[in-house]
Amino acid sequence: MQYGMVIDVDRCVGCHACVIACKAEWEVPTQFDRNWVHRLGPSITSDGMAATYYPGLCNHCAEPPCVPVCPADPVSVTFKDAKTGKTVTMEVGATWKDPFNGTVQVDTERCIGCGACRDACPYNARFVNEALADDHSLGKVDKCTYCMPRVAEGLEPACVQTCLARARIFGDLDDPNSEVSQYVKKGAVGLTSQAVQIGPHGLYFASKKGDRELLMQAAPQEMPKVSMRRSMLTKMSIVAKNQVKEIGLLGLAGGLLVKSLQDDEK
Amino acid sequence: MASNLTRRNFLKAASLAAASVPLSKVAARAQSGVVKAPLVAPGSFKDTQTAVGGLCEMCFWRCQLVGKVRDGRLVKLEGNPKSVDNGVSLCARGNAGVAMLYDPDRLKYPLKNVGKRGAPKWQRISWEEALDTCASKLKTIVDRDGAKGLCFFGHGSHAKYLMDFLERTVGTPNVSEASFFQCRGVRDTAYLTTLEIAPDENVDMANAKVIFLTGMHIGENIHLSHVKNYLRGLERGAKLVVVDPRYSASAAKSHIWVPIRPGTDTAMLLAIMNYLIENEKYNVDFVDEYGEGFEEFAEGIKEWTLEKAAAECDVPAAQIKEVADLLAANMPHVAIHPGRHTTWYGTDFQRSRALACLTGLLGAIGCKGGLVIPKKPKGLAKVNWPHLEHEEDIVLRELAEKHYFAPPGAPTELLRDAAITGEPYPIKGCVICGQNIIQCMPNQEKTIKMLEQMEFVLCVDIMPTDSTMYADILLPDCSYLEKGDIVKTGQQWDLSEEPQQYIAPRMALVAPGFERKDSIWITNEIAKRMGYGDKIPAQSQEELADKALAGVNLSLAKIKAEGGIHVQPGEDPYNNIEDLTVYFYSEDMEDEDYPPVPTYTPVERPPEGFVRLVYGRTPLHTFNRTANNPWLVNEAPINPLWVNDKLAARLGLKEGDTIKLVNQDGVTSRTTTTVKVTPGIREDVVYMYHGYGTRNPEMTNAVDRGIDDTSLITRIAVDPESGAHGMRNNFVKIMKAS
Repeated sequence: MQYGMVIDVDRCVGCHACVIACKAEWEVPTQFDRNWVHRLGPSITSDGMAATYYPGLCNHCAEPPCVPVCPADPVSVTFKDAKTGKTVTMEVGATWKDPFNGTVQVDTERCIGCGACRDACPYNARFVNEALADDHSLGKVDKCTYCMPRVAEGLEPACVQTCLARARIFGDLDDPNSEVSQYVKKGAVGLTSQAVQIGPHGLYFASKKGDRELLMQAAPQEMPKVSMRRSMLTKMSIVAKNQVKEIGLLGLAGGLLVKSLQDDEK
Repeated sequence: MASNLTRRNFLKAASLAAASVPLSKVAARAQSGVVKAPLVAPGSFKDTQTAVGGLCEMCFWRCQLVGKVRDGRLVKLEGNPKSVDNGVSLCARGNAGVAMLYDPDRLKYPLKNVGKRGAPKWQRISWEEALDTCASKLKTIVDRDGAKGLCFFGHGSHAKYLMDFLERTVGTPNVSEASFFQCRGVRDTAYLTTLEIAPDENVDMANAKVIFLTGMHIGENIHLSHVKNYLRGLERGAKLVVVDPRYSASAAKSHIWVPIRPGTDTAMLLAIMNYLIENEKYNVDFVDEYGEGFEEFAEGIKEWTLEKAAAECDVPAAQIKEVADLLAANMPHVAIHPGRHTTWYGTDFQRSRALACLTGLLGAIGCKGGLVIPKKPKGLAKVNWPHLEHEEDIVLRELAEKHYFAPPGAPTELLRDAAITGEPYPIKGCVICGQNIIQCMPNQEKTIKMLEQMEFVLCVDIMPTDSTMYADILLPDCSYLEKGDIVKTGQQWDLSEEPQQYIAPRMALVAPGFERKDSIWITNEIAKRMGYGDKIPAQSQEELADKALAGVNLSLAKIKAEGGIHVQPGEDPYNNIEDLTVYFYSEDMEDEDYPPVPTYTPVERPPEGFVRLVYGRTPLHTFNRTANNPWLVNEAPINPLWVNDKLAARLGLKEGDTIKLVNQDGVTSRTTTTVKVTPGIREDVVYMYHGYGTRNPEMTNAVDRGIDDTSLITRIAVDPESGAHGMRNNFVKIMKAS
């Protein structure tokens, strides 16, 4: 099974309800978004004047570049297939691709907030909420989960439920009878480019050539380069922070001191 | 480096941190200092109760809501699954109601202005003192000058009860609603004059073969079931024609985009109708049966050849012909949209009448795809303030012998002039509820003059606005999530489906915060103190709703038990037009010395070096009350100015440049915005979202963001028939800001 989401931009009116419903559902801090809507155009395309929308979210990619860069100490996790009950045990960092439903998830508890996965994503689908920094992290990374906790309760993802245009279709891309698979047959595609071919499972359907062109122009054109130095530094600075704390400063003040050290470094 | 850690920085960092911690985490911390807080929000479905009966008021469409409530705190709003209107969907603003509810900038307590009007200093006072002051100030004016010494500005369900008290019972005729005089009133009276139908936006787009929009930018303005209606039509294959100088959200979905010269729409409509008549492509049977004055009408518009209109409208004659032929080929199943915000040029009655005539000419009334009035439930009891006898000869419109086709109330310009000059009578008391008159009425200087000469200004609102800065007493209303004031009724939006009707009274989803009180209580308390206690129609908001619902043997309790909405079988809305007359030629208008046949009056074109300023909606804001919403501000923080790419090149402007605007009267925008360079707008016009650039520092998220379009609309145009303002006759120069 591979969950995916099709956005039918013929229907989308760019209202942003998907963004705000997600914000409420998951208490996403005001200044961050787990998903977004970019207005594209009006511009002249090879098919004349066009304007459309790019409603984006984590693509839960086939080859997610965010997963291997996670420096968190791996742990052994047993995954269970919701349908068959089959299990698989894997070593995973703080972010991984689920072997059964194909979604990419984050263990917030174990995230150290280094931002490596955020930097690795060509779609800018992740953010680090520094306000959640604690003794073991500089913050917590967050992103779209395809609303797996809602789906587990038999609910639709929050963005899908609220969409007045029924422009968001969620389902199993491995099931040839699903609505999302029907859209693939009709021509729904991921936003990829020559350099970015990581199998996104957020797919876009546009019947107009001009709209397709604008969407493809919105695709990332290069894979980000992630420096492992950053994540190593993070690991070290967390140790340093805890040491500072031990020498008797107040917890928060100690954290701020380390933070100001890092800010100076930037 | 340690010296960086000053107390101030520490507090700043700590408060920033607090601002972005999820609510669930805060709650968990508040409950216990030791329990480890969850890092991930649990989701709105976990450990919440569903409160039913919500009715949105982020705009006036009033979608039906349910609230997910955890420990008394609203965590999420969703469409009510019982709704046959919006269903489970909400728009961005509807979803952001949670952030409005808990916005720390909201009004919390009764306040008294101990500073100046416009530069207020607020002092918290008790409700007792506030109500006593309001009643005695208002009563003093009424006792001295009569009820005509008061005026009222209001909007929506927040304002209705208070407005009815002042207008019906106290008896002031000086009531000017923005929804009429700065929005849709001119459309309604033009359609009433032509078809005897108040159209609202009741076109059956879902079942139309052609949808025809003039200036209506569905998608950028979002009224939820209306957008569903439109999208269903497109999905079923309707052809979309969009007449707009800008490649709007609708134009992007259109089959024909007519980039018309602003202000010339009536010329195009007349040419379409003339072409249909000359080529006998109109609905002859329908016109024979229902039309009146058709010969005079045909004669009156015959000068409008396709070529003449093409020159006036700056679009090819062939395109106007293409539109006309498309309408003819698909009549009567064509949705000629009446529009919503129709106060454009001060010539708007004639344009709206032309749209109504086109609708009649195509026979697109009462049939699938046409203008169809839904069948709402009947029988709700009317509960209202009694209409008391008033002194005669106090109605401004009648005294001025103007604006015979005005919507209900006082044309704003007459009212404002009366207040400023004291003629024909002084107006010294002003009550404002749920409306930000500074940012919705053109020429802010005049509005401020009007307010400054008042003896007493009372504002009732949920948020601070640019207008509340001028209040003497400012009262905190409950938001729509904390009260129950109105009953919404309607029919399912796709009229081709099994007819269903609904009755949805607003119910509070959470208890009011701080010292907020609902506007029904506030009105009753003021009324008692002014000596109208015996006239009060309902002692509480619940009683008001229950009395209305008793007319259909329902009650709040019953409807709550039904899930917040009562749904019942409806009636087929089609083919119910036996009383119809289409007044192509209007004798009523002739009697009042207005052009009896729809007539085009050219508007001034931009002077050399200027472009016309046009404004519209973003789907993320409706009113002042959405302007400060942190979630919405984050998505649409400013209102970029749309500038044609060729014009931008000539002016040396690049995408993202920061600019100011100066208008033809030398008024410069107080604030700046950025430029959006696009080929999708004509060269003689620039466009921005309305409702930005608020100046009230108490709106901490909204203040000084983007440019206030209304501040640049200083030249006033007034529609002669209706008295409505025209607000697109102002021209601007773009100046780069450093």
